Amino acid sequence: MTETLTTPTPLGSPPPREVLLEVRNLKTHFKVLDGIVPAVDGVSFSLKRGETLGIVGESGSGKSVTALTIMRLLDIPPAEILDGEIWFDGREILSIPIDEMRKIRGNDMAMIFQEPLTSLNPVFTIGDQIAEQVELHLRVRKKEAWARAVEALKLVGIPSPDRRAKQYPHEMSGGMRQRVMIAMALSCEPKLLIADEPTTALDVTIQAQILELLKTIQDRTDSALLLITHDLGVVAEMVNDVIVMYAGQVVEQGTVDEVLLEPHAPYTMGLIESIPTVEKRGGRLSVISGVVPSPFNLPPACRFEPRCPYRWDLCRRVPPELYKAGGPGQLARCHLHSPEGESRRQAALDKHRENMTVGRLFGKGS
Amino acid sequence: MAEELRVAAETTVADLDRRAEEAGADYEVGLESLSQWQLAWRKFRKHRLALVGSVILGSFVVVALIGPIIAPFEFLNVPEPDQIVYAGRGPSLAHPFGETGGLQRDVLTLVINGARTSLFIGFSSMAIGVFIGTIVGSIAGYVGGFVDNLLMRVVDVMLSLPILFVILVFARFFGNGRGSPLLIVVIFGVFSWMGISRLVRSLFLSIREREFVEAAKAVGVRDRRIIFRHILPNAFSPIVVSASLIVAANIIGEAFISFLGFGVDPTSPTWGNILSSALTFIPVGNWWWPFFPGLAIILVVLAVNFIGDGLRDALDPRSRA
Amino acid sequence: MTKYVVRRISQAIPVLIGITIVVYLILALAPGGPTARFAQNPRMTNEAKEAFKKAWGLDQPWPIQYCRWMGICNPNASNVAVADGFLLDHIPHPGSFVGPTGWPNFLPNFISGSSNGVLHGDFGFSIATGEHVVTRIGRAAVPTLILAGFALVIWITIAILIGVFAAIKRYSFFDQAATVFAYVGFAMPTFWLGIMLIFAFSGPGLGILPAGGITETRLFPAFGTDAYWAAFGRNPIGALLDIGKHLILPVFTLVVVNIAGDSRFVRASMLEALNQDYVRTAKAKGLPGRVVTFKHALRNAMLPVLTNIGLEIPFLFTGAIVTETIFSWPGMGNLTIQATRDFDYPVLMGVLLIAATVTVLANLLADVAYAFVDPRIKY
Repeated sequence: MTETLTTPTPLGSPPPREVLLEVRNLKTHFKVLDGIVPAVDGVSFSLKRGETLGIVGESGSGKSVTALTIMRLLDIPPAEILDGEIWFDGREILSIPIDEMRKIRGNDMAMIFQEPLTSLNPVFTIGDQIAEQVELHLRVRKKEAWARAVEALKLVGIPSPDRRAKQYPHEMSGGMRQRVMIAMALSCEPKLLIADEPTTALDVTIQAQILELLKTIQDRTDSALLLITHDLGVVAEMVNDVIVMYAGQVVEQGTVDEVLLEPHAPYTMGLIESIPTVEKRGGRLSVISGVVPSPFNLPPACRFEPRCPYRWDLCRRVPPELYKAGGPGQLARCHLHSPEGESRRQAALDKHRENMTVGRLFGKGS
Repeated sequence: MAEELRVAAETTVADLDRRAEEAGADYEVGLESLSQWQLAWRKFRKHRLALVGSVILGSFVVVALIGPIIAPFEFLNVPEPDQIVYAGRGPSLAHPFGETGGLQRDVLTLVINGARTSLFIGFSSMAIGVFIGTIVGSIAGYVGGFVDNLLMRVVDVMLSLPILFVILVFARFFGNGRGSPLLIVVIFGVFSWMGISRLVRSLFLSIREREFVEAAKAVGVRDRRIIFRHILPNAFSPIVVSASLIVAANIIGEAFISFLGFGVDPTSPTWGNILSSALTFIPVGNWWWPFFPGLAIILVVLAVNFIGDGLRDALDPRSRA
Repeated sequence: MTKYVVRRISQAIPVLIGITIVVYLILALAPGGPTARFAQNPRMTNEAKEAFKKAWGLDQPWPIQYCRWMGICNPNASNVAVADGFLLDHIPHPGSFVGPTGWPNFLPNFISGSSNGVLHGDFGFSIATGEHVVTRIGRAAVPTLILAGFALVIWITIAILIGVFAAIKRYSFFDQAATVFAYVGFAMPTFWLGIMLIFAFSGPGLGILPAGGITETRLFPAFGTDAYWAAFGRNPIGALLDIGKHLILPVFTLVVVNIAGDSRFVRASMLEALNQDYVRTAKAKGLPGRVVTFKHALRNAMLPVLTNIGLEIPFLFTGAIVTETIFSWPGMGNLTIQATRDFDYPVLMGVLLIAATVTVLANLLADVAYAFVDPRIKY
């Protein structure tokens, strides 16, 4: 109802062909003993074929739940999808029966999880685990499925794949297991690859390898990649566009350069400012004050308000929308970018710039 | 000056704001932290089954303690000859649990008297077993090496024997069917410690290596203090849970050997030997005679199991309050 | 794998040796001794008791008795006359450590020529009946094997079925009913259940199932005798049905407690497996629900369950003691009770030794089977 969405598409009709995945106003809640957790509260974004989108946020921001909702892997009680549409490859997938969804999962849409050791079944060989998926979706015989599994292993750079395929998950290192998960996800040549914190559980050097691998694969297979992480560095390297999530909402979105170099939402600003850089050497570490709000006790209007250095009383009364801010596709959920915040806008942006460059070089407080 | 106010956990920030505004004051929020025991008690209270179990067990204990006073009859009472019905009589108003065959005793009285002995045997033997087990396990776990190996071999051998069988043999040979409850307690106690010793030992082994013990040692805390303040409290929970299982097992075990005639002397009734005397009267059909003592056993064992479950949940530091 | 098996076996051997010593000690040092059966008998004079002891070699110091019992020493050395297995005279020394062929006595018969003692399969003679202990045990073993065999199969099958479905349909009515059943069944003393069942089905009430025994004595001769087998041959179906009828109540009694305990364990194991990440991965791959549950989760859930069952098998023995007593089943449990009543040491030692050995072997088998089935075990 404001100048928020770039080209508003009416609900109910499919997005244009080049958009592979479009999430519209998704709301997923969890009913638990102590109340309701609004894990995903009105999230929208879209992803074109062959492109990459990063979802960045702290734990509890709702990023993993978003991914699981897209795959429809949530256990329906306690989870509940309250509202929203998800369009994948021209179909709305929240309303199709689960059997139909199973045909898509692993086939057109695949997911890589965070913990490769526990995500692989310990009593079956990795070859078996890849082959069963191939057999199911591609309708091929066992022998051919096995051959394709070995192919997939080769694709992800595992040496002597035919020998490795007969091994069990515990016989491999962490990095190799993650490669296996990637191979498994790719085995049926999916159009969309969702990677949920794929490198968090790995050593730093292995992280780099895996990310490199994902990039290569993506180039080669032209599948779209939805990368979920809390690590801004990963995002900087890997994706075209990024959305930042906080407490279940999208607080900023845009291209990676726009959001990381010129953030317009205070939360994003805080994240970027807290990265230690050379310019800040000698000063104090910058942190975002306060803590992430409990999901049962969210601030009534702007959810970031209690911790925001730029807040004023409007922020306590009216929840902000996603306003256009900064670059052409960039949006930020902050009143600074609404008409009412006009007067304060520049001061905030300047302050951020100051925090980034001058820092606290001589130990003086802000 | 500052005033301290306690509020419920569900109070929202908005509420606090409002109250502060009304009072015209400012406020600071702090968290009250409960000790481990207070937390455990709270969790236990919420566990419905455990509470039910406690009530049941509590009633049995009360009955056991004051029972013979309130029992309707003297259990050794022998009725008038013309009153005797060979098969006994079923449950009636005067005899809620019925009367036995043969000597025509009131079953309720028997069950009440039996409660005393059976519960006594169950709990005392558990105490002995836990005591021996903790000591053996601590030595094995803490000293390690050859001593540990030796002790664990002994445990292995003892666990390979069919325990009930051995207890049976011992009960027969030492007691010859006229055993005193104390003898039975000792015999059961001597055969109940193995599981606990393994538990304690493994706790010692795992905790010995854990970081907070390293930290304590680094600060210079002495060995003995380490054991008592750091290691044993962690052992408390699994030992308590094991202990509850042991009580249940021993109550059934005692009933078992008394039932076979090798346990406690029939002049002091236990639920087991009541069942034993009922056995010969099966063809006559007086089902109430073995039924009620058996029911008592089931209830007590259930109660103990429930309490054990509740304790396990309550004492687990990771479960929520 | 063979290395692992060999290692486990070599660990088991000292335990087995320990068991023989402990078994012997338990019974040798128990008060009363074999003459306790005469304790009440005023006509047994002290000389008669001494002669009895002498005849059975019971006046030797216990290490020597142990040695003889095991078959490490051979009392039938020179200067000893033997008639019908009874020692007429003896020398106050252990006998020879060397067998008739010159090889050490404890080696198998075909090497040492010796045939006495446990190591050669000779468990001595029953004090109560005078037969070879092995004969008595052997005769009692068959009914127990029948009982335990049926019980084992039924117990495992039902426990797994109940546990798995309770886990799949968690919190459903079936699950809650199964939980109640598990708690109550576990708290129930087996013998009480047996008695109640007899009252219900064989007593003056329904009277449809027999109250005891393994065969209907009016129809068939005593089980195990030659006459029985002859009758069996003439009417196999009838005989089998007869045994079957007698099996129902004892087996039921024996399995209820085990099913109650195990079904909870199976349920817990299955629930844990269903909560694992790899189940989520399997779903993410688009596998149908059945495959996810029964291929991915179940396989993992069964690992601890099978080990648990393996470890519980020896407890069938204890359960058998009770059940056989109540139902007058002529098996090893019954034999144990009789021997305990009669202070029949050789029989008790034999049974105890066999039971303990079976336990050790069952544990061994459970370990090896687990290592075989779980690829994560490094051996």
